[in-house]
Amino acid sequence: MMEEPIIRAEGISRRFGGFVALREVSLSFRSGELASIIGPNGAGKSTLFNILSGSLAPTDGRILFEGNDVTGLPQHRFVHAGISKSFQITNVFPQLSVHENVRVAAQAMVAGKNFWSRRSRLIETDETARALLVEVGLEGVARRRAGELAHGQQRALEIAMAMACEPRLLLLDEPTAGMSPEETKDMVQLIEGLARSRTVILVEHKMKMVLGISQRVIVLHHGELLADGTPDQIRNDANVKRVYLGQGRH
Amino acid sequence: MTEIPFDLIALQVLTGLALGCIYVLVATGLTLIFGLLNIVNFAHGAFYAAGAYLGVFAFTYTGNFWLSLVAVPFGMALIGLPTERFLLRPVYGRDPSYPLLLTFGLGYVIVELIRIAFGTDGIPFNAPAALKGSLFFGDIAFPRYRLFVMAFTAALLAGLWFLIEKTSFGLIIRAGARNPEIVSVLGVDTSRVWMLIFALGTAVAGVAGFLAAPMRGVIPEMGVTVLIEAFVITVVGGMGSLPGAVIAGLSMGVVVSLTSYFAADYSNVVMFAIMAAVLLVRPQGLLGRPEFAR
Amino acid sequence: MKSTAVATPSMWERMDPRRLMGGVSQHRVLASAAVLAVLPLLVPYPALAINVLIYGLFAAGFNLVFGYTGLLSLGHAALFGTGAYGCGIAIAVLGLPWYAAILVGLVFSTVSAALIGGLAIRTRGVYFGMVTLALAQCLYFLFYQWVSVTGGESGLRGVMVPSIDIGPIHLDLFDPVQKYYFLLAFVVLALMAFSRILDSPFGAVIEGIRENENRARASGYNVWFLKWMSFVLSGLFCGLAGALNAIHLGVVSIDSLFYTTSGTVVMMVLLGGMGTFFGPFVGAAAFLSLEDITANWTSHWQLIAGLVFIACVRFFPRGIWGSILARLRA
Repeated sequence: MMEEPIIRAEGISRRFGGFVALREVSLSFRSGELASIIGPNGAGKSTLFNILSGSLAPTDGRILFEGNDVTGLPQHRFVHAGISKSFQITNVFPQLSVHENVRVAAQAMVAGKNFWSRRSRLIETDETARALLVEVGLEGVARRRAGELAHGQQRALEIAMAMACEPRLLLLDEPTAGMSPEETKDMVQLIEGLARSRTVILVEHKMKMVLGISQRVIVLHHGELLADGTPDQIRNDANVKRVYLGQGRH
Repeated sequence: MTEIPFDLIALQVLTGLALGCIYVLVATGLTLIFGLLNIVNFAHGAFYAAGAYLGVFAFTYTGNFWLSLVAVPFGMALIGLPTERFLLRPVYGRDPSYPLLLTFGLGYVIVELIRIAFGTDGIPFNAPAALKGSLFFGDIAFPRYRLFVMAFTAALLAGLWFLIEKTSFGLIIRAGARNPEIVSVLGVDTSRVWMLIFALGTAVAGVAGFLAAPMRGVIPEMGVTVLIEAFVITVVGGMGSLPGAVIAGLSMGVVVSLTSYFAADYSNVVMFAIMAAVLLVRPQGLLGRPEFAR
Repeated sequence: MKSTAVATPSMWERMDPRRLMGGVSQHRVLASAAVLAVLPLLVPYPALAINVLIYGLFAAGFNLVFGYTGLLSLGHAALFGTGAYGCGIAIAVLGLPWYAAILVGLVFSTVSAALIGGLAIRTRGVYFGMVTLALAQCLYFLFYQWVSVTGGESGLRGVMVPSIDIGPIHLDLFDPVQKYYFLLAFVVLALMAFSRILDSPFGAVIEGIRENENRARASGYNVWFLKWMSFVLSGLFCGLAGALNAIHLGVVSIDSLFYTTSGTVVMMVLLGGMGTFFGPFVGAAAFLSLEDITANWTSHWQLIAGLVFIACVRFFPRGIWGSILARLRA
């Protein structure tokens, strides 16, 4: 018997006016997978990422998360269902402290019954935030303002925030964009750690990093699925070589 | 129910279209400035009032309506240029609420300056002799001045359309609205373009105020109502869309005019009811770009 | 066993303004109450102190939306004005007792906030300012035309509350000082509620929304609802300020719904320091004192107000209290 995939996209299309960004893409991801979506600029990977993470609704098709139809639900419902994302451009609360950033993210899950209680009494949220900061290596700067952090640290903070709602599916949009080789190495380690206990899907264009880290690689081209396989299969795929690898070094 | 005479309705529609023209002009200036500078000019109503007073002032000196009508846009541009240069330019790139608040404060200053210079009471101002009286279409009498306002607005809009769509200055405007960086890379002095656009928007507001003077009266606070009306029109027509402003402005004028005839009590609020409905059904407005809505 | 003495702060450290500020902000309601309690002794006449109280509360309510949630509303006159009219109508037209009238005022302002907020929050950024301004003006027209109840242009007269009897306490509201302390009781209660809201997870999230709306949404928050909630809560505080103003003045002027009232509260919060707890009261005090002083030598207050406002936005965006805080943090 096949295991139920954690997330399944069925015939997803997305049009912007007359422009078709995604055309009938069907995909599913197993629980615990570390997969990457790649493709040249304009291939539709950001669109697919936004649809899978709930910030964009598909024009056609369905999204099933753990067997439930979540198509068209607002973003916050995706988060409560167990899907979390990080942004391509660094996206934190710059004026709040690093600790407060994560705490605000963490308390989204206790919202409702405790929303009007005193913040200082929500010890659980506080500890979740502290533990997450340790996990991403930011415990030393917890009291600094998030806006003052170095770029790599802000990206790590973002991941901590994405983790705060205890997602079963974590979507990361170019997590190493703009990072130094040193910072990239740390981030890759962090992602590998995270992927041990949950499903992680990356959108990336750093080919070398993608092939090194992923168990599975999905290649998009002109809004359609071009290839889907292990890094080795992708490396040797004639179509991929033609449209992507041949274009230059990545 | 008694039958409503056709000629009265026709007259009411015409009155509405003339009123709509004023709305269109004010909203056009607002949209021009917003489209390119990304600034909502809250002093726009004050510029409208200033234009009316400037025109009336010029008229008392020259006694010539046409000369005054030409003087207003130039005079207003002279107010608009330094406003952009010294008040707004220093806050570009900062939070959009800065220019909003600055122009809001400027509105207070301009209105109070008008009160100091011309007093708090209104000034009566009549249409020039050549535009008095009515033209007859069959049995229906249309006031000449309102017809003139409509023709003048149409000509002005055609001129603006030509400027934006057909000239090289317009090309810069359109390119700049999409991507200011590219325009400055091409070697165009964008800061000068922005200054001219702001002055152009100010001039259009001033002309609208002067045109409205014989129809709606001249008082220092005349800009407040019209500013809010122009906001309603930009929201209804669509954020940042010139055609949207034209369509919404004209139809709003007709709706207000008909309401004030059939249900005068509701003429002040009918606009807001329409705006509320648009916000519920289509928050980005009729022809607006969706990024301004939730 | 080695001494595990925790270093007790030296006298010098205790005098350090930063530590002092930490203490003040920990007990911010108490500190506000203490300053406001002696305010009538500091200003030339009690009416000014009463205005600081009422407009300070109004500004605090506005600050929840503007300073903390990051929504620039230009329609807050609607919340203040409907609060005032609700309370005024309850007393002058319906003949209800003052406490019931205040409740009516709160219902009026909260309903207005729910409607205006519900519509305006469908738009973003600068359009939020335009829509709130327009909707507030719509309410202005409605109350202007509802002459039979509101008195229209000449305002609502006869909002008479000559005295208050609560158990053994008898307060004569014709005595401005007694009136001041009566109003102060409400303001302190409101500030307690306000401080409590800021302390809750809700308070943290609205600041998050101000900082980065997309991030808040991606963290699983229903941003629309939270903004709306902030607007409605703001309606409660501003409506209370309006209701107290109706009791204070005995009349409700149609100007309380006019856009200049919205402008005034924006100026007060900017002058005092947006997004700070004490800023609105500092701003209200500064604004009203300035108005009071200017009135002695010119009738063109709007000109001064506009110029001060421009200067403040341009050169002094943190406001008085905000600048003090920034200096102490640096």
